[in-house]
Amino acid sequence: MTIDWPILSLIVFSPLLGAAVLLAMPKQRARMLRWTAIAATLLPLALSVWLYADYDPNRPGDAYEEKAEWINIPLEKSATGIEGTFELHFDYALSLDGLSLPLVLLTTVTAAMAALASTTIRKRWKSYYIWLLILECGMLGVFLARDLLLFFIFFEMTMIPMVFLIGIWGLLDRERAATRFLLYNGLGSALMLIAFVILIMTAGFSLEDAGGVFNYSYSGSYETILSNLADPQAYANMAAPGSVNPLYLSDGMRTALFVMLLIAFGIKLPVFPFHTWMLDVHREAPAPVVMIHSGILLKMGAYGLIRFGIFAFPEEADRFRAVLAVLGVISLLYGAVIAFRHKELRLVLAYSSLSHMGIVLLGLASLNEIGMQGAVFQLVSHGLISALMFLLIGSIYERTGTTNIDELGGLAKAAPFLSGALLIGGLASLGLPGLSGFVGELLALLGLFDTNKTVVSIAVIGIILTAVYVLRAVMATTFGPLKPKLEGITDARFTEALPTAVLLAFVLLLGIYPSFITELMKHSFDSLLNHLNTRVGG
Amino acid sequence: MAYSESAWLIPLFPLAAFLLLTAWGRGFRRWAPIVGAAGSLGSLVLSILVMAEGVDYRDRINWIKIDGLSLSLGYEVTHLTSLMLVIVSLVSLLVCVYSAGYMKNDERITVFYGYVSLFVFSMLGLVLSDNMLMLYLFWELVGVCSFLLVGFWYHKPEAKAAAKKAFIVTRIGDAGLLLAVLLLFWYMPNHALDFAGIQNVFHGQSGAVDDGITTLIALLVFMGAVGKSGQFPLHVWLPDAMEGPTPISALIHAATMVAAGVFLIARTFVLFEASPAAMDTVAYVGAFTALFAATIALAQHDVKRILAYSTISQLGYMMLALGVGSMTGAIFHLMTHAFFKALLFLAAGSIIHAAHKQDIRELGGLGSRMRVTSILFGIGALALSGIPPFSGFWSKDAILSAALDHNPVLFVAGLLGALLTSLYMARLYFRVFAGKPSAASEGAHESPAVMLIPMIVLAVLAVVAGFADTPWNEWLSGWLLGGEPSAHDSSSPTVMIVSAAVSLLGLYIGWLAYVKKTIRPASVTEAMPGLSKWLERGYRIDDLFASVIVKPYRMLGTGAKLFDRYVVDGVVRLTAGAASGLGRMTAALQNGQVQTYGIAAVLGLIVIIVVMAGRRFWS
Amino acid sequence: MLASYLTMAAILFCIGLYGALVKRNAVIVLLSIELMLNAVNLNLVAFSKYGVVPSINGQIFALFTITVAAAEAAVGVAVLIALFRARGTIKTDEFDELRR
Repeated sequence: MTIDWPILSLIVFSPLLGAAVLLAMPKQRARMLRWTAIAATLLPLALSVWLYADYDPNRPGDAYEEKAEWINIPLEKSATGIEGTFELHFDYALSLDGLSLPLVLLTTVTAAMAALASTTIRKRWKSYYIWLLILECGMLGVFLARDLLLFFIFFEMTMIPMVFLIGIWGLLDRERAATRFLLYNGLGSALMLIAFVILIMTAGFSLEDAGGVFNYSYSGSYETILSNLADPQAYANMAAPGSVNPLYLSDGMRTALFVMLLIAFGIKLPVFPFHTWMLDVHREAPAPVVMIHSGILLKMGAYGLIRFGIFAFPEEADRFRAVLAVLGVISLLYGAVIAFRHKELRLVLAYSSLSHMGIVLLGLASLNEIGMQGAVFQLVSHGLISALMFLLIGSIYERTGTTNIDELGGLAKAAPFLSGALLIGGLASLGLPGLSGFVGELLALLGLFDTNKTVVSIAVIGIILTAVYVLRAVMATTFGPLKPKLEGITDARFTEALPTAVLLAFVLLLGIYPSFITELMKHSFDSLLNHLNTRVGG
Repeated sequence: MAYSESAWLIPLFPLAAFLLLTAWGRGFRRWAPIVGAAGSLGSLVLSILVMAEGVDYRDRINWIKIDGLSLSLGYEVTHLTSLMLVIVSLVSLLVCVYSAGYMKNDERITVFYGYVSLFVFSMLGLVLSDNMLMLYLFWELVGVCSFLLVGFWYHKPEAKAAAKKAFIVTRIGDAGLLLAVLLLFWYMPNHALDFAGIQNVFHGQSGAVDDGITTLIALLVFMGAVGKSGQFPLHVWLPDAMEGPTPISALIHAATMVAAGVFLIARTFVLFEASPAAMDTVAYVGAFTALFAATIALAQHDVKRILAYSTISQLGYMMLALGVGSMTGAIFHLMTHAFFKALLFLAAGSIIHAAHKQDIRELGGLGSRMRVTSILFGIGALALSGIPPFSGFWSKDAILSAALDHNPVLFVAGLLGALLTSLYMARLYFRVFAGKPSAASEGAHESPAVMLIPMIVLAVLAVVAGFADTPWNEWLSGWLLGGEPSAHDSSSPTVMIVSAAVSLLGLYIGWLAYVKKTIRPASVTEAMPGLSKWLERGYRIDDLFASVIVKPYRMLGTGAKLFDRYVVDGVVRLTAGAASGLGRMTAALQNGQVQTYGIAAVLGLIVIIVVMAGRRFWS
Repeated sequence: MLASYLTMAAILFCIGLYGALVKRNAVIVLLSIELMLNAVNLNLVAFSKYGVVPSINGQIFALFTITVAAAEAAVGVAVLIALFRARGTIKTDEFDELRR
C-alpha cells in the first residue's frame, strides 16, 4: 500500500509534538504531565506498529522513503572553470528498510515503557519528560536518516538530553557520570564527523548531465555515497596516474575511514577497551533513563557500524572480520568474568551489556546472512531484556533503597511478581531457548561458525559463564531467606507491572516466533552479500 | 496413521495445564493436582495409542528461515520415541498423583504443579523432537525446569545452592552439545539437522563427513549427555539436586530427565557407530561411573543421596550398554530403571513424609510401622539389585552380556558394580526397615492411599517390565530395532547365573552386616577412617572442583575487575589527567603581569625578525 | 646623516622598552612608554627630512603622536591614581588582575 502522507517524519517528530504540548503545561501538575508524556510516546508506538503490519520485505528497495531538499550551499566554481552549478548539498532524507524497522519498533516500545515506568522520578517532571521526548525523537531519527548530516544531527540530538537526564535526575555521582558520557561520546562523534566529512568530500561527489551543462555537487546522501564507494567507475575509486585526483580514496584511506567509524561506533556499542563510561551511566542514571540507554542508545552504535561501517566498506569489513570476532569474544568473556564479581546489580548488568554486545560483534564478524541477522536480532533482544531488567532493578531500588546483592535476598517471598519477572529476564539473558536471548546468540554463533570455528568454540564458554553470573545475581536477590530489613516491601504496582508484562511478552514472542523479526530482514543484507560474493567469485 | 499424525498434541496437554495453573495463580490450590494430573493423563492416553499403533511418522514446520537455510521445528514418531513418550507420561502421571498427598500442605502447590507440567511438556517435546536443534531447545528447557524444581523451596540456602549448581554444571555439558549442533549444521549435506538425515548420512559411513569430525561431533554430543545424565566428572550436581521435593527427585532426577542423555545417544546412535573412538569413550566413562558412584553410595547416610548415587551408577550402566553397541540394552535398562527407581524415590518420599528424617542413622525399624511402604521399597530394591525375576535383573543381564561380548574388562567392572549395588541397597533397606523402631520412626504412620497407589502401580511394573525382553522373548529389542533381527545373541546362561549369584552375594553380605550383625560394618570404618570419610564426601570431587575451577575463576574475576578499574579505566583517567595537567601548566604562564606578557611579546618579535632576516641571508 | 638619527631613536626606544618591561614602579613604566613614543617621533621627523621621498607628512604625524601621547599619559596617570587608591601601591608586580 502506498501512502501519501509522510509517516516516517510523523513517527520521528511526534514525540517533539508531545514535548511542545508539555511545554505549555503548568509544571506542578505531575499527573497531567505524566499522562501527556505517555500519550506522546504511544503515538509513535502506534505508527510503528502500523508500519510493521504494512511492511512487506519482498518489495524491492526501501519500503518508505521521504526526501526533500534541505541545504544547498553554492561553492566557488570560478577556480574549476565549470559551466553548471557547483554546490554542497544535503537532503532531508528518511527511509525505512528491514534493518531499521526492528530497531524503530524496539525504540518506540522501550521508550513508551520507560515513560510508563517514570513514576519513580520525583522532581522537575516537566523538563524530565520534555528531555525524554526529545531523546526519543533523536533515536528514531538515527534509525531512519539516510543523509550523513541528518544522521549526525540526530545522533547528537540523543546526546544532549541524555546528559541532562543523567546529570539532573541521576544518583549521587550523577554529574561525573554525565560528564564522562559527554566526553566519550563527544570523542566518538568527533571521529565520526571527520569520517563523514571525508566521505562527503570524496565519495559524495556526483555530477549530473543537465542537457550538456554539467551540475556538480558534493552531497551527504547515503545512497550516492554507497553507490560511489561500490562503483569501480566512480571518481572515488579511480587513481589518476600523473595528476592528482582529490576525490580518490586510496586503500589506506578507506581502511582509516573504516577504523575511525569502528572506533566511533565502538565507543557507543561499547566494545572492550571503550566501555568504562557506560559503567557510570548504568550506575548513576535513573532507572527509566538506563532502560532507554541500555535498551536503545547502545544499539545505535551497532546500527551505525552496520549501516556506515560494514555496508559502506564491505571489503574493509571483510579484512577486519578477525578483528571484529576477537573484539567480540573478548567483550563477551571479559564482561561475563567481571559481572561475576560485582556486587552492585547495576554494574552486573552493565558488564552483562558489554558481554551481550560482544555477541553482536561476533554476528557481524561472520558477514553472512545468518550471522548478520543474528546480530540484529541480538540487538533487539538485548534491548528488550535490559530494559526489562533495569525496570525491575529500578523497582527494587525504590523499595529497598539498595541494589547491592549483599543487602538483598529472599525477595521471592515478599514480591513474587517482581522476582519471577527478574528470574525470567535473567533466564532470557543467559540464552534460554523459548526466550529471545537464545535466538540471537544461536544465529550469531551459527553464522560465525562457518568461517571462524576457533572463536566460536571459545565463545561457547561464554554461555556457561553467562549462566554463572546471571544466576548468581538473580538468585542472590530473589532466593534465600528474606532479609529482616526487607520485610514488608510490596509487590509491583500497575505502572510497573504493565511495562514488565509488555516487555516480557515481547521477549517471549521473539523467543518462540523469531520470524517476527527475521522475516523483515530477509533482503536487508542482499546488496552487501552480493558485493562480497561477486568479489570472491571474480 | 491418525494417532501418530497427531502426536504433536502429546506435549500440549501438560503445556495447557501449565498455562492454566500459571494464569490461575495461587487461588486454586485444590484444583492444582487435578489439573496437573489431567495434563499428564492426556499425554499418557495419546502416547499409548501412538505406541500401540506403532507407525512411524514425521512432520515439521519452518521456525527460522534465512537465506535458503531453514531451522525447523518438527516431531517424529518412531518406535524408540513412542516408548519414551509412554515412560515419561506414565511416570509423570504417577508422580502427579503422588504429589497430591506429598505436597498437600505446601502453600505454593499450584506453582509446584505448574513447574511439573512445564517439565513434562519440555520432556515430551525433547522426546518428540525431530532434529538436533529442537532437541537442544527442549534439552535446555528441561534443565531450567529441573533448576526451578530443585530450588522450589527457594528460601532454603541449600536448595538455592543446589539449584544453581545443577543448572551451571549441566550447562557445561550443554555447551558441548551446542557446539555439536553447530558442527552438524555446517558439515551435514544441506545443513540438515534432523535425525533422519543424520541416520542417512552416517549410516554405514557414507564418507560425506570426515571421520575426525564425526568423532568430534559424537564426543561433543556425549559431553551433553554426560552433563545431563550425571556421568563422571559432571555428576556432582545430581546428589545435591536431592534438595528438591522428593517427587521431583523421582520424576526428574531418576526416571526421565537424567535419562535424556541416554536417550540422546540412542537417538543419534549412528553417529557413535560411525566412530569407534567415541564408542569406547562412552563405554569406559559409563563403566567407570557405574563403579565409582556405587562405591560412594556405600558410604552415604542420607536416603535420597544413596538413591542419587545409585541413579548415577545405573545411568553409567546405560552408557556402558550404549558404548558396547547395545542400544536396546540401554533403552531396556532405561525403562526398567525408570520404574524401579521412581518407585524407590517415591517410597523414600513416603518415609520422609512419615518420619520427617532422611538420615539412615536416625531411622530404623520402620518395617513394622509402614508395612506397605516397606514391601514396595523392598520390591524396588530387589529390582535395582538385579535379583531374578525382577525387572532389573533382565535389563542388567542384557547389558552385562553385551559387555562380555565386547570387552571382558568392562564386563568385570559391570559385575563388580552389581555386587556393590546389591550391597548398598541391602544396607539401605535393612538400616531403614529392619530392627527396632528408632526415635524418629516411633511416630511414623503409613502414607495415605493417594501416595500408595502410584507406588503400587510402579511396583507392579518393576516386577513385570523385565519380561519385555528376556532371552526367550525378545519383543522389546525387536520392536526398537524395527523388526530387524537382534544384533546380539542376548545372553548366555552363564552370564545370567553369574550376575544373579553376584547380586545375591551382595544381599547376603548386607544381611549379615545389618541384620545378623555377624560382620561389623563399623570395623571397616574404624580400620580405614580416611577412606570412609573420603567416600562419604564422594571422593572429594566437589572440593577438587572448588579449588581447581571455582576458586581460580573467582580470582580471575577479581583480577579482571581490578584490571578494569585500574588499568582500562586507569588509562582513561590518565589521559584525562594528562590533559588537565597540561592545562594547569600552561595556566601558570598567565600570571597577570603585563610586563611578563610584554617580555614574551618582545622575545617573540625578536625571533620573528631573526628568522625573517636569516632567510634573506642564508636562503 | 639618516643613520645617526635612526641609531639615536633605536637607542632611545630600547631604553624605553627596557624600562617599560622591567621597572617595578608604574610611574617609571609610564615615563618609559613616553620615551618609546618619542623615539618613534624622532624616526618620523628624520624620515620626513632625509627619507627617500622627503615630505611634510612625517612631521605632521609627529605632532599627532605628541598629542596622543599627552592624552595617553593623562589617562595612564589617572588609571594609576585610581589603582593606587584601590590597592595602596603602584608596584607593577602586584597588579595581576588580568589573571582573574
